[in-house]
Amino acid sequence: MNQQKYQLKADEILSTYEFLSEEPKGKILKHIQFTPTNYHDVFNLAFGDKDSNTGQIDDKVISNNGDNEMVLAMVVSALYALTEIHPEAWIYATGSTKSRTRLYRMGITKYYKEVKTDFQVFGEVNKSWVYFEKEVEYESFLVRRKIK
Amino acid sequence: MTTIKELNKKKVPVVRIDKSLNKYSNVILFPDKVEKANEMLRTIGLPKLETRKQGK
Repeated sequence: MNQQKYQLKADEILSTYEFLSEEPKGKILKHIQFTPTNYHDVFNLAFGDKDSNTGQIDDKVISNNGDNEMVLAMVVSALYALTEIHPEAWIYATGSTKSRTRLYRMGITKYYKEVKTDFQVFGEVNKSWVYFEKEVEYESFLVRRKIK
Repeated sequence: MTTIKELNKKKVPVVRIDKSLNKYSNVILFPDKVEKANEMLRTIGLPKLETRKQGK
């Protein structure tokens, strides 16, 4: 990806990431987390803003900091990092709202040319999984690193 | 396991390890999302992988 990136920091097991969004409305600390699910090697991906007053992390807030593309680039970067150490992992992601899910789709679409060389990408439609295609609405997404 | 030094040499982002983030390693920051993921796994499961390559 050629998108200029913020500095991405992670915990030692590469499950939780943090970066500072620094665009017009000020600095916003963002967290990305891959959480193991009840299934072996299936992780949930979610990200959100840390409230500087309460310290709580909120995945529903719309910070609208003018850097959506950069934020999505960071999420994709974290995806590469996690799947480098968990190459068999399935990563599940869905938005907290329809608009957030649409944002995820925009992110996948934007980087799809590059992402599809390294990942299999699926979208959820009517309670089943289909291969991701651009311009199609999905309820959630599932990606897995291609075995090369 | 791949080390961070090795990781940063590959086609992956430069990730700086920050031990202060270890406090989140065993904390679920987004429990609602994880619950959704588990519900999806229970009801839909994972895709049946085919041998064909993914389209454009």
